[in-house]
Amino acid sequence: MRKLKSVEGFKALCERLRAGAGTPLPTIVIPAGTCGLASGAGGLVRVAKREILAKGLIDKVRLRVTGCHGFCQMEPSVLIEPRRTFYPKVTLEGMARIVEAVADAEVLTELLLVDPETGEALEKQDDIPFFRKQVRRLLARNEKVDPIRIYHYFEIGGYEQLVEILGWGSGDRIIQEVKDAGLRGRGGGGFPTGLKWELLAKQPGRGGKFIVCNADEGDPGAYMDRSLLEGNPHSIIEGMLIGAYATGATEGIVYVRAEYPLAIRHLAVALEQAREHGLLGENILGTDFAFRLRIVKGAGAFVCGEETALIRSVEGKMGEPRQRPPYPVLKGIDGRPTVINNVETWANIPVIIRQGADRFAKIGTKGNSGTKIFSLVGKIKNTGLVEVPMGMTVGQIVYDIGGGAVGKARIKAVQTGGPSGGCVPAGMFDLPIDYDSLAEAGSIMGSGGMIVMDENTCMVDVAKYFMNFLKDESCGKCFTCRKGTQRMHEILDDISKGKAAPRHLDLLEELALAVKDTTMCGLGQTAPNPVLSTLRHFRGEYERHVVDKKCDALVCTELVGAPCQAACPLDTEAWRYVALIEKGKYDEAYQVIRRANPFPSVCARVCDRKCEQRCQLGTSGDEPVAVRALKRFVTDRVSASAYKPPVIARGAKGSGKVAVVGAGPAGLAAAHYLSMLGHRVTVFEAEAEAGGMLISCIPAYRLPRSIARQEVDSLLDDDNITLRCSAALGRDVTLDDLFADGFQAVFLAMGADTSWKLDLQGEDFAGVYSSMEFLKAFNLRGEELAGGHVAVIGGGNSAVDAARVAIRQENVQSVSLLYRRTDQEMPAYAEEVEAAIEEGIKLETLVSPVRIRYIEAARKEGIRVETMVQPVRIYSQQGRLVGIECIRNRLGEVDASGRRRPVPVPGSEFSISLNSLIVAIGERPDSDCLATMGLAPDKGGRLPVDPRTLAANREGVFAGGDLVTGPNTVADAIAAGKKAAAVINRHLRGEDLVREPDIRLPTEFIEPAEAGDEQGEQAARAEPPTIPVESRRKNFAEVEMALSTQQAHAEARRCLRCDLAFTQPPPAEENPCAAVEGASA
Amino acid sequence: MITLTLNGLDVSVEEGTTLLEAARFLGFPIPTLCHRDGLSPYGACRLCVVEIGEGPKAALVSSCTYPAEEGLKVRTASSRVRRARLMVLELLLASCPQSKTIQDLASAHGVRQQRFRQEQEDCILCGLCVRMCEEQMMAKAIGFRGRGQTRSIGTPFDIKSDVCRQCGGCMYICPACQLRCTYTEPEKAICGACANLAPPCIAQDPFDDMMCYMDPCVACEIARDD
Repeated sequence: MRKLKSVEGFKALCERLRAGAGTPLPTIVIPAGTCGLASGAGGLVRVAKREILAKGLIDKVRLRVTGCHGFCQMEPSVLIEPRRTFYPKVTLEGMARIVEAVADAEVLTELLLVDPETGEALEKQDDIPFFRKQVRRLLARNEKVDPIRIYHYFEIGGYEQLVEILGWGSGDRIIQEVKDAGLRGRGGGGFPTGLKWELLAKQPGRGGKFIVCNADEGDPGAYMDRSLLEGNPHSIIEGMLIGAYATGATEGIVYVRAEYPLAIRHLAVALEQAREHGLLGENILGTDFAFRLRIVKGAGAFVCGEETALIRSVEGKMGEPRQRPPYPVLKGIDGRPTVINNVETWANIPVIIRQGADRFAKIGTKGNSGTKIFSLVGKIKNTGLVEVPMGMTVGQIVYDIGGGAVGKARIKAVQTGGPSGGCVPAGMFDLPIDYDSLAEAGSIMGSGGMIVMDENTCMVDVAKYFMNFLKDESCGKCFTCRKGTQRMHEILDDISKGKAAPRHLDLLEELALAVKDTTMCGLGQTAPNPVLSTLRHFRGEYERHVVDKKCDALVCTELVGAPCQAACPLDTEAWRYVALIEKGKYDEAYQVIRRANPFPSVCARVCDRKCEQRCQLGTSGDEPVAVRALKRFVTDRVSASAYKPPVIARGAKGSGKVAVVGAGPAGLAAAHYLSMLGHRVTVFEAEAEAGGMLISCIPAYRLPRSIARQEVDSLLDDDNITLRCSAALGRDVTLDDLFADGFQAVFLAMGADTSWKLDLQGEDFAGVYSSMEFLKAFNLRGEELAGGHVAVIGGGNSAVDAARVAIRQENVQSVSLLYRRTDQEMPAYAEEVEAAIEEGIKLETLVSPVRIRYIEAARKEGIRVETMVQPVRIYSQQGRLVGIECIRNRLGEVDASGRRRPVPVPGSEFSISLNSLIVAIGERPDSDCLATMGLAPDKGGRLPVDPRTLAANREGVFAGGDLVTGPNTVADAIAAGKKAAAVINRHLRGEDLVREPDIRLPTEFIEPAEAGDEQGEQAARAEPPTIPVESRRKNFAEVEMALSTQQAHAEARRCLRCDLAFTQPPPAEENPCAAVEGASA
Repeated sequence: MITLTLNGLDVSVEEGTTLLEAARFLGFPIPTLCHRDGLSPYGACRLCVVEIGEGPKAALVSSCTYPAEEGLKVRTASSRVRRARLMVLELLLASCPQSKTIQDLASAHGVRQQRFRQEQEDCILCGLCVRMCEEQMMAKAIGFRGRGQTRSIGTPFDIKSDVCRQCGGCMYICPACQLRCTYTEPEKAICGACANLAPPCIAQDPFDDMMCYMDPCVACEIARDD
């Protein structure tokens, strides 16, 4: 290569290159950064080359291998220029087809990315939501150049900025431009770059001055610097050349970690090319400007990203920070003036020169100009690098670009700035991302890592993770940083293992503040941030760990045990009965279930299965074990007599007299367990029959009446329990009456069976029913209220129940379920929705009946109103419903619940003719009477109680179930009853109501299943069979059937047996296998 | 000369003076562990922190390494400084309870107990020995190794150093092992001030004996009255 000896020579070369390019051929661009290569981009490159050669397309199609474009989630991806068609997750066969399609100027629609919201295929990269909202000043250039070809960089105007400033004659103008642009250090500190350069320029340069590019990017989950170095190394070199010219620096160093081999390779190639072309070294482009640039590889210490430690590392010493002042700009490498800037800062310099300071500063906010690259990782749909204007909110990045949560778990926080940063909780997602706002919120920008965390992330565990990282990565010089991080980790570890007390939280905070105050360098001063910010925003979670010994995210193993058991409100040992089923010990399995749950057959049908949601098999990517189906298998097979509750006879010592109000699952469970403890219980039920929601609300095709009645009756068949039906609190009996009658304690469990109203005119027309009214009329009295064309408004379980009951009624022709959000967001169990659709129910989502206002009061009370519909109008003729008017919604901004708010689309109104309308937008407790009895229900009708004791604000009165929580699951109601029994027992015996929480870990060892042949192959989850749709019409036969024995055994074998981590096999002598192994060893 | 404000007093010191030197010269006591005249300042123990600056920009810095700056406002014992020092002492006690030097410092500052899990380490990595070896004995036989929690002092790969003359300077200067309280042999204990520090001394069985033997030792209390 001929060295370029003048500016003119450079310009001539650029012109020749551009002339030679001619009309652009269609180009296949394959991003092959480290992330791309890891996901298989290398294979794509090979296939593309082979296909182009084999098909003789060399003159028709070009291939460009570039660095990362940012959308790492969809890699290996392919971009076709100039159409800008984007193909995600391309397979090798897909690649071959793409080559052909490009040659024929076609688009392979079936390989395109599908918009998750509209379901349409998106062709152009710039239409994809992930890219649409970004401003890609730096990353877009990664698409244009092959990092190891300097001519590519020339072609897009590379090094022209260098040529430009060489003509300016002095560095002052450059410094002024950088200052005017308002560029702040992208490494996280945010120090104005222009100011730094000015200081360096003023230093005497006799011994030479240094400028350094800091590419020691060590934050877990951050890789924007790597991408820039890998994808466009020449832009860094050009930026440093401009910086050198501005400040008079003669020496340059790129300090890059050895863990970035590809970045080092690309940079080394780029440096060599720049030298060969006379762009580096002495007499650059024939001028007297000289600049030497070399790579120094860091050995992987996180602390070497700190500038004084970096300097020592470059000098060949131990990477240890030192006191500033003197600042590096006065005394840096080898005692000479030094300026250190981050990779992204350097990459921005050519942009400033090219665009001019004014244009550069137009993007971003005042004092925070330009764009910033973030690496968006964690529990989010679209992971990757995103470049956005400063001042964009966290929420926009997470939801609009990142696509929001994966699955149904809500996003709860974002960690910015890696281990030195802090978390921003979901409630603060309207925080603009800039240096100052983040610092105010207790976090830092850092170099731009953004780790998204959802409900399955434990904040204590997050803090522990970062502290574990920092205790290894602290240099260890400052005693408080070294010992402080160790001690913080120790305390966090204790918290996560249930060994800490509440005072440890204060100690942790005190220590964190001391470490922040007393350490020398940035690492130490920011090290406590993860602790301090999680303590600040999630103190409740810490308190759950130390007070209740619970980890709600089910992450802290020593508190959780087996996740299925920990997730169950009833503490059912699901792992245990699953293991027993595998052994064929059905009776024992039944006993395990029944001991924890007095309604095994009911729950085997209608439980919401928190165990399955948290099953490790499910969270690790497979389908969870079908725990409920296995429970059904056992309860169908084993007679209830297999378990005999140990009941203490009436009148035993210390026994008392308790009134339970409400004979639903909560009330009956409380009565049952109180009776077992020897207390006499009278259950008061407002309806004519016990069972509550189990009988009155849950449809028979999900829970056959006989099963529910059998289980309810078996609990009531008890000498200690008396049932009084048709006795409602407030109407037939008051709390004062009960205490006067000698009851020593009252447990209120009346449930929540009053429907919320649409608050729309005409709701009292004949033909409009609330779901509760409709379901009770049918389930308790056999009245079929629906007829003709029926619409159900709502998306919860009771809406789906009402719809499915309606379609089974004699005079019903059609049933529509109207929900104002998408079916993805329906609170009803997904399979119920599917079943409903199978049965012929028309589902209209994103539809809301217009012109009804929200029930604001209820929402303020924290009641979930997402299921409510905004209705428009109800039409009537002679006082009878004839139809409704609805309006279609589109998805708008993300609301506080992390879901997109439905926004009505004006002009999209449409009418439906109806004979019946069922409003199923949510229920509330009917608790008005309680206010007159010295209790204080809230505006939503719920009765607040002490969550630890269930005690209401009147002595001797306890409450639980839906009355306290609002509409909730059967399992939660039973759990409340169980807890109430324990607390009331303590109350009657004069004991302290609050007990030290115990951590329930698996104790019983059950031999794991022997690995058989079928173990090798992937066993699929067993789904219980259902009766065919045709035979479901107009009858209430149970839809779901039980698993076969074979299915059940196979399903039980799928269990990962998380319990085995906590249990020990019996000693060796009792274990013949182990003895044999021991002998042969 | 540089003029600065030390605890409200306007003072002038020579350029290059550290805040620690200035404060000590003027009679303001600042506790230190890793600082010795004759050895270069290092700033490892963080006991000598002082508060500089005002308002939101106020910060703690180690006075042994921070040079006096023109117009700097320094407070050597503000409540923030004292709070930080107590935590440093508590952490030191938790790691190295048997050091007489640390016991005395803790006692002098009224630290009677520590709230962390007790450790028995024999090095606080203050680096005095490393600097002694290099700067006074001109040997450079020992140095720091590793980082974070695995940081330690010794020779490379634990191979006996050729340049070590076994002068004992490192042991002489060590604040953690010099005059080590021989708590396992109570009759040889030289001080027993540690007996006033609740957990290190009574948390473990051997110390129970010692309590009996030394009680009522008030050595540290007397030392405080100076």
